[in-house]
Amino acid sequence: MSWKLFSLLLEASLMTIFVSTISILIGLVLAILLSAANLSGIRPLQWGGKFFISFFRGTPLLVQLLLLYNLLPVMGIQMPSLATAILGLSLCTAAYQAENLRGGFEGVPRGLVESADMAGFSPAQTFFHIRVPIALRLTLPALINEAILILKASSLVSVVGLVELTRMAQNLVASTFMPLELYASAGLIYLVINLTVAVLGRQLEQRLPGAPAK
Amino acid sequence: MRNRVISALAGAALLLGGTVAAHAQDALERVTAAGVLKVGTETAFAPFDFIDAGTHTGLNMDVFAEIGKELGVEIEWVTLDWAGVLPGLEAGQFDMVAGPATVTAARMERYRFTPPIAEATVALLKSAKDDSITKPEDIAGKAVGAGHATAQLAQLIAYGETLPTAPEAKEYVSFNEAYADLAAGRIAGVANSLPNIAFVAQQRPEVFAVVEPAFGTKTYFAYPGLKDDDHASLMDAIDAAILKMKGDGRLADLQQKWFGTTFDTPDAVTEPNI
Amino acid sequence: MNFDLNVILSKQDELLYGIAVTIFVWVVGTLASAALGFVIATARRYGGVLVDRALAVPVEVIRGTPFLVQLFLLYFGGPYIGLSLDALPAGLLALSIYGSAYFSEIFRAGYQSVPPGHVEAAETLGFTRGQVIRVILLPEMALLVLPPSVNMAIILLKETALLSLITVPEMTMTASAIGSQEYAFVEAMLLLALTYWILVELAGLLGRLAEKKLSRYRLAKA
Repeated sequence: MSWKLFSLLLEASLMTIFVSTISILIGLVLAILLSAANLSGIRPLQWGGKFFISFFRGTPLLVQLLLLYNLLPVMGIQMPSLATAILGLSLCTAAYQAENLRGGFEGVPRGLVESADMAGFSPAQTFFHIRVPIALRLTLPALINEAILILKASSLVSVVGLVELTRMAQNLVASTFMPLELYASAGLIYLVINLTVAVLGRQLEQRLPGAPAK
Repeated sequence: MRNRVISALAGAALLLGGTVAAHAQDALERVTAAGVLKVGTETAFAPFDFIDAGTHTGLNMDVFAEIGKELGVEIEWVTLDWAGVLPGLEAGQFDMVAGPATVTAARMERYRFTPPIAEATVALLKSAKDDSITKPEDIAGKAVGAGHATAQLAQLIAYGETLPTAPEAKEYVSFNEAYADLAAGRIAGVANSLPNIAFVAQQRPEVFAVVEPAFGTKTYFAYPGLKDDDHASLMDAIDAAILKMKGDGRLADLQQKWFGTTFDTPDAVTEPNI
Repeated sequence: MNFDLNVILSKQDELLYGIAVTIFVWVVGTLASAALGFVIATARRYGGVLVDRALAVPVEVIRGTPFLVQLFLLYFGGPYIGLSLDALPAGLLALSIYGSAYFSEIFRAGYQSVPPGHVEAAETLGFTRGQVIRVILLPEMALLVLPPSVNMAIILLKETALLSLITVPEMTMTASAIGSQEYAFVEAMLLLALTYWILVELAGLLGRLAEKKLSRYRLAKA
């Protein structure tokens, strides 16, 4: 396989990285808000959050993307392919991240929350300054794992019209008839990206305070 | 009270905010004002629309470049799998569709077509090494591929029913996958329009060959758009641009460039054969 | 938009066939994944360092790449190395290989969770390795392995949707075909999402029931 083809794959992988990174971050913010809904003690919010998480964890991303792409405009919401792809990935990962965070929030020491309350923190302050940082720290390995899952899942966003690594490989196969070389190369690029994320994640995990003792 | 802030934030998360597009002008006015015509298409339909070494190219690019010049707008492409293209048009993801699509009676009830840009009559592509198929009837009982949700697939199935044993029709996300499976020997043929398979066979004569004659009835390729009043003036303008290109020979030049031949097409299809 | 589910539901025979194919591929694929995963985990535990390291490579490669790419590589690349499978067997094989990598990690964690003392005690009693696995390891790790296994089964159910992209006539393919033929794509996708959702919730429910039963059984024995 020529360098020209491989460089086209590399170029397309930038889109994969871009879409995944943004989606993971938006998904994290949404997941924190979903956790807030769960902790709010307000029934309708809790139900809404549960419904959201159950739906996005209970259906294939491929179907979610197809639905989103065709349903949003009918509802009067116009957005380009890139935005639809990011929205689809973000909503899906938000559901998974919220589920991960749930464990993290349960691990926040009760005494810490109580003493923050007593120190005069408002509920929002306690949530954002005490609960969220601790829950995030506790679930960091899960977050890194989720990042890798989303990098892989981003291979599906071509169904809403975005050309990323997998679709580029598909396109190149159509004109070169070299599926073996092209899909193997695409797989290799995903593998390198994911191993990099895993290694960086492990280093971050060890450097941050609260790392398990060695 | 205690959780008011948290619940307000959570409420915000559950509200999927969106901007509602203003519909004061009609489609042509919106396109002209934005300076952009959004066209939905699939990129697995050589030589109309394909990716050549990473670059989006084909007859559609060239024709729409001319249409863009006539309308004074840029063309923005949205590329999907074919099964998603017409639903995307109806959902309003783009102003019209390239494709092109075979003009059929069923589609005409739903969409408005531009003047035809090529013939679409369906024929068979086979492996160059396969001597067992020399005429269309020879596919009886064999596996033949076609694109998912295409008129070509429908014609293959209809033709198959006239044979002593119907061929097994296999549906692919796009014709490219069907070609790949033909090359791999999983299927005996691919049913697609003559301009498409002639191009594929010419690109890879050692792998593919066209089975003459075409088995389908005479049909035409055109670009579909929406039928409603909102899109009427836009489709009128595009029709005019294509007829102008036909009149001054630009369309024939592009047909020559991509098909190596020109087609004698009507200015409009009123009574499609299928 | 005219929201009309009837045009979709009028094709119920095709839809039911698609659902049946999905369930078939899912059940067979999950069972094969679990079996293969168990073999990999067992080989890695008892096969020595070399086998462990040699198997770690494919497991990591499969876990580090998208299922879609694996599927395309097998289905479209396979014929170039003499492996020309039809869509259904190719899809099943890809799903089983993909799932086995994750299941092998589940079983590996399961093996690690059993206190070495239990194994040693059994060995002193003269148990063979097969007996140790069957009588000590499997029952002891069952409770720990069940929840992630159910989770994995659910992930595999959702991954079967990708088989539509290599022409396996499962329910995503069927629904999208009906949706575009009948000009009711959104309705078809909504119905499709709902069907997956129900299947996933059912699978989760069955998993929780099995867990409850198993833990009661274990408590009763203890």
